[in-house]
Amino acid sequence: MDRRTVLKGLAGAGGLALTGVSAPAIAQGASARTLRFVPQANLANFDPIWGTQYVVRNAAALVWDTLYGIDAQLQPQRQMVESEETSDDGKIWTFKLRPGLKFHDGEPVLAKDVVASLARWAARDPMGLMIIAIQQELTAVDDRTFKWVLKQPFPKMLYALAKNNAPCSFIMPERIAKTDPFKQITEYVGSGPMKFAKSEWVPGAKSVFEKFTDYVPRQEKASWLAGGKQIMVDRVEWIVMPDPATAAAALQNGEVDWWENPIADLVPVLKKNRNISVDIGDPLGNIGSFRMNHLFAPFNDVRARRAVLMALSQEDYMRAIVGDDNALWKSLPGFFTPDTPVYNEMGGEILKGKRDFDAAKKLLAESGYSGQPVTCLVAQDQPITKAQGDVTADLLKRLGMNVDFVATDWGTVGSRRAAKTPPGQGGWNMFHSWHAGADCITPAAYTAIRANGEKAWFGWPNSPNTEKEITSWFDAKNLEEEKAAIGRVNKAAIEDVVYAPTGFFLTYTAWRKNVSGITKGPLPFFWGVSKSA
Amino acid sequence: MLSYILRRIVATLPVMAIVALFVFSLLYIAPGDPAVVIAGDQASPEDVERIRQSLGLDRPFLIQFGSWVWRILHGDLGTSIFTNLPVSAMIGQRLGPTLSLMIVTLLLTIVVAVPLGVVAAWKAGSLIDRIIMGFAVFGFSLPVFVVGYMLAYIFALELEWLPVQGYTPLTQGFWPWLENLILPSIALGCVYIALVARITRAAMLEVLQQDYIRTARAKGLGQGGILFIHALKNAAVPIVTVIGIGIALLIGGAVVTESVFAIPGLGRLTIDAILRRDYPVILGIVLLFSFVYVLVNLMIDVIYTLVDPRIRY
Repeated sequence: MDRRTVLKGLAGAGGLALTGVSAPAIAQGASARTLRFVPQANLANFDPIWGTQYVVRNAAALVWDTLYGIDAQLQPQRQMVESEETSDDGKIWTFKLRPGLKFHDGEPVLAKDVVASLARWAARDPMGLMIIAIQQELTAVDDRTFKWVLKQPFPKMLYALAKNNAPCSFIMPERIAKTDPFKQITEYVGSGPMKFAKSEWVPGAKSVFEKFTDYVPRQEKASWLAGGKQIMVDRVEWIVMPDPATAAAALQNGEVDWWENPIADLVPVLKKNRNISVDIGDPLGNIGSFRMNHLFAPFNDVRARRAVLMALSQEDYMRAIVGDDNALWKSLPGFFTPDTPVYNEMGGEILKGKRDFDAAKKLLAESGYSGQPVTCLVAQDQPITKAQGDVTADLLKRLGMNVDFVATDWGTVGSRRAAKTPPGQGGWNMFHSWHAGADCITPAAYTAIRANGEKAWFGWPNSPNTEKEITSWFDAKNLEEEKAAIGRVNKAAIEDVVYAPTGFFLTYTAWRKNVSGITKGPLPFFWGVSKSA
Repeated sequence: MLSYILRRIVATLPVMAIVALFVFSLLYIAPGDPAVVIAGDQASPEDVERIRQSLGLDRPFLIQFGSWVWRILHGDLGTSIFTNLPVSAMIGQRLGPTLSLMIVTLLLTIVVAVPLGVVAAWKAGSLIDRIIMGFAVFGFSLPVFVVGYMLAYIFALELEWLPVQGYTPLTQGFWPWLENLILPSIALGCVYIALVARITRAAMLEVLQQDYIRTARAKGLGQGGILFIHALKNAAVPIVTVIGIGIALLIGGAVVTESVFAIPGLGRLTIDAILRRDYPVILGIVLLFSFVYVLVNLMIDVIYTLVDPRIRY
């Protein structure tokens, strides 16, 4: 008997005497049937259409199923759908649902549920909005069949329905899906492999998911969001740990089983523990960025933006984020996710090789920069943005720029970056962010690459060439055409410096060795994950 | 006394109203926008604006404040912008862990700090006194999170005696409840113990020099009786005061402690709400805390009359 057991026994006896309430005996088997997981962030709300944070999407993938799911080869595969047909002109899509699909409240999944869900999703999703723009009608034909009629073909339809980028096209009961897409749902009823235990939800602390016994998995092997989603445990508990050191200690202590994203500083400690496995979590990684405001001087002049690219050292940024672990980063002479089918470095020379400060300073002077303050917004409460902000401040100073470093929190950056006023009047010149590699494989969900001026993401880049090539990617009929289009997008976006990519970086995930079945992917997949006592 | 207590409770209402107006105004002018956080990083400005409208954040200050006050007057603290749950329910969920942490810390402090202060005063100038006061300075100087990490490393990771994180309600057993609170209470209590021990020592030193103590000694009363019956009772007023004021320290320290030990309490809820600009939750917590402060002050005043019958209201 160890000392903790003795202490427990003593205090338990004292507790019995004092309160008359005994601690419930927790069977060892019950512990093995519960997987305790530390997510990347707090699940503060649970509407995957209203709130599009990754953590919401990750939890929603347990509760709500999708019509299609993206697999590890980045291909859309049928999920809730049994079959689909496309008319010869590509304008009419007819889908048929798998038989036997049920919601968690026992009701069958019907085409009308799908229609309402897709309408709500499309109102909030960039690809959905593109479909709505060419939509003629979206209707239920019968209980298992629905039809999407378009005014012109949309070749990326299945990708739009399968993609893992938030918001995913999750299917909800019609009564819930009819909620205004800009208002939160209050019922969390899906048809996915797990049910959400709302009564046990403590936002900011704990979320609980229970196995949905009526879920009928597909027969194929699971692959990311596609295939047979077999749940091997009874419960999954998400335990929010705001402090990474505490999460590391809890994992070492066996109080949690899986930590989604250990910070680089603590990984060596975890690797030394013989009870813990550590590996790259998401092979699609992340792309660091700082965005310059194209509306105001100095970055309204492309020469000033190019000067920054000439001088920028991606290694400096990546080392600031991941430390000395070379396995965690690589240079990125472009905007798209490395090691994916259409990845391309066309036009990326300016980001390669030795950094040329003299040429950069000369180009900056040619842009007319004359020492005015450059307002640099940096969210100090996010380690990745803070690290990048420090490197940028140094970079700009070495370029001879007068940096107005605004150290604040993410809530403020998120709000201020939307201001289109001049930097001295509440606006800004630059801010830092990063994008999930899963969002940057193609332009489909890559908001940050869009360069359509006033409609573009913060910084409002205006690059007609980039936009033209993005359109050519959407129209591409095969992989070769897609790859060629992506190359041209990359080249145009670098020429006009839509934003400054600061490199590609990966993060680890860590789990106890009595847990098996964890796979690498753009989100934590719980199907196939089991735990022994 | 009863009418005094009632008057004091009624007097809390304008205090809370002023606090509420002040905090509401601060939140209104502070930078940051919950709609931006909700909409996510990829959202368009149009999406953000529609969310702002749906939450009523685009309305003028007076209308927002007025509707909030109206709800408060009807016993409704509002609904969290993010979780869509009633603020009162969220506070209720988090109250248990924070109260537990504060109660255990308070008990620990009284049990440890008061005897230490008494002994230090009794042995004033001796090695024991210097050791106790040295520990007090040490406890006062170490940040809560440093003590927290040290305790977690020693007692959770190395010795494996106690868990490193979490909270279990008392309804699930005394030991499961207590074992999660031991380390955080020690971490949080260090500063508090140091403070109370020093005040106790100072108050006791003053009392021990009084004539009636000499008389008690001359009459042959034992040291224990002199210290803990005669002297401590008369030194109690400043001790009670500092314990009461220290509750403010506890609330502040709980924010850090709850984060370090992953306790789902009000401290963490406060920080989360501030970072997300979840205005109704922030306001609800501020109101609660201001009410607690007023009540604690009232309790201190009442306790004064118990320990010193000369005090009358």
